[in-house]
Amino acid sequence: MNFTERLNQFFTTVGGLTAFTIRFFVEVFRPPYEIGEIRKHMDELGVKTFSIVSITGFIIGLVLGMQTQPVLARFGAEMFLPGTIALSVIRELGPVLTALIFAGRVGSGIGAELGSMRVTEQIDAMEVSAVDPFRYLVVTRVIATTLMLPLLTIYVDFIALIGGYIAVIITQNLTFAYYIHLVLEAITFSDVIPGVAKTFVFGFIVGIVGSYLGFNATKGTEGVGKASTTAVVISSLLILLFDMILVRLTLIIFP
Amino acid sequence: MIKIENLHKRFGDLVVLDDVSFEVPEGQTFVILGRSGTGKSVLLKCIVRLLEPDSGKIFINGKNILELSHKELNELRKEIGFLFQSAALYDSMSVRENLAFPLIRHTDLSEEEIELRVKEMLRLVGLENAIDKMPSELSGGMRKRIGLARALILNPKIMLYDEPTTGLDPVTSKEIAKLILDMQRKFKMTNIVVTHDMVVALSTADKILLLDKGKLIFEGTPDELVNSEIEIAKEFLSNKLD
Repeated sequence: MNFTERLNQFFTTVGGLTAFTIRFFVEVFRPPYEIGEIRKHMDELGVKTFSIVSITGFIIGLVLGMQTQPVLARFGAEMFLPGTIALSVIRELGPVLTALIFAGRVGSGIGAELGSMRVTEQIDAMEVSAVDPFRYLVVTRVIATTLMLPLLTIYVDFIALIGGYIAVIITQNLTFAYYIHLVLEAITFSDVIPGVAKTFVFGFIVGIVGSYLGFNATKGTEGVGKASTTAVVISSLLILLFDMILVRLTLIIFP
Repeated sequence: MIKIENLHKRFGDLVVLDDVSFEVPEGQTFVILGRSGTGKSVLLKCIVRLLEPDSGKIFINGKNILELSHKELNELRKEIGFLFQSAALYDSMSVRENLAFPLIRHTDLSEEEIELRVKEMLRLVGLENAIDKMPSELSGGMRKRIGLARALILNPKIMLYDEPTTGLDPVTSKEIAKLILDMQRKFKMTNIVVTHDMVVALSTADKILLLDKGKLIFEGTPDELVNSEIEIAKEFLSNKLD
């Protein structure tokens, strides 16, 4: 594929994804609301990602604590370790890393699932039976990812703080209650709210990108594989891009 | 019942349907015969507006479906059953859920009534025991039967079959052809069957249409096709084509 074709494909994807997103916002407010389907997808997403985000969250907290402790020790500021871990996890690492794992696990799954439904004519079958596949398959999944990622992030933040505590007690004699006290002393609402709020955007990105690529998959099984991998790549890049924008916005709103 | 007028469809430079016109009277079965890639499935998908033709008109019960709103189109689609080439069963749902899906979406039936209707349809296609199976556990022939049961569950007035015997062995193909006939006798629907299988064509058709390179080159009864001098028809009859 030469440069012009790549450029053409890039703009086609951007245009298609934008139109798909606009269609989502048009359809999301129209009944039927498919509450049962949304709940089912949220259950599945939670089960699918629970173990991997638990392990990741714990390791993030532990490693962050172990890496930061010697640096703070150099300045005699070890007492700030719980607060440093909490701020790093809650403001940035928890939301972004959970979102990236979510993109890898859930975004690829949605891409593959809808892609497979497209190439085996299941989406056509749904349309012919007078059920709107966009509303039934796409809207429900995007709502589920948008609502589920913030919940997972709050859980990961908590697990990471436990990992951080393990790192702290390796070098310091600190009770868990006092550790939590130091954590709560360090963080404010302006740390927690933007950290969680941006995961709604990340969850939306994972859902809409995976759905767009799966829903428009072509060329049989090859197309399904491509939808799945491309969903991870595009949603990961968009998560990082939007993180940059949202951090800047947060700093303006909460100086 | 179904009237197609001057239908044109192309993909890029490739002309798939070229000025196709025909009319299927109510309660009749028309078979569209043609080689692979001659536009048969595209024609069928245009009839339910899964694909938009470039020009032409498609009338169903007197309404030009190309002029219907999305809501009107969906109302009409409830009266049309469509058996896909791959059967297109929802693979995340069991056989029971596949069949119940249209009933849950479009009727006010109670759970018990839905269960009874699902079992009744499965009995008609001879697969009552498959009710709790997942689509991945079914053979090709079983999938087609379940697909047919799902397509018929809302009592459609029109039934469209897209290559109903593709990928099946000759014995199963004959069984599916017999099932199409049985369903026609029982429900008196208007049928369009797209196929390249002469067994299906000759055993089910009131009329056969021959499609070649996007053009209709023959319209007549099975007997007229057998006695015709058209080269492709002869080749089909001697099983020279796929």
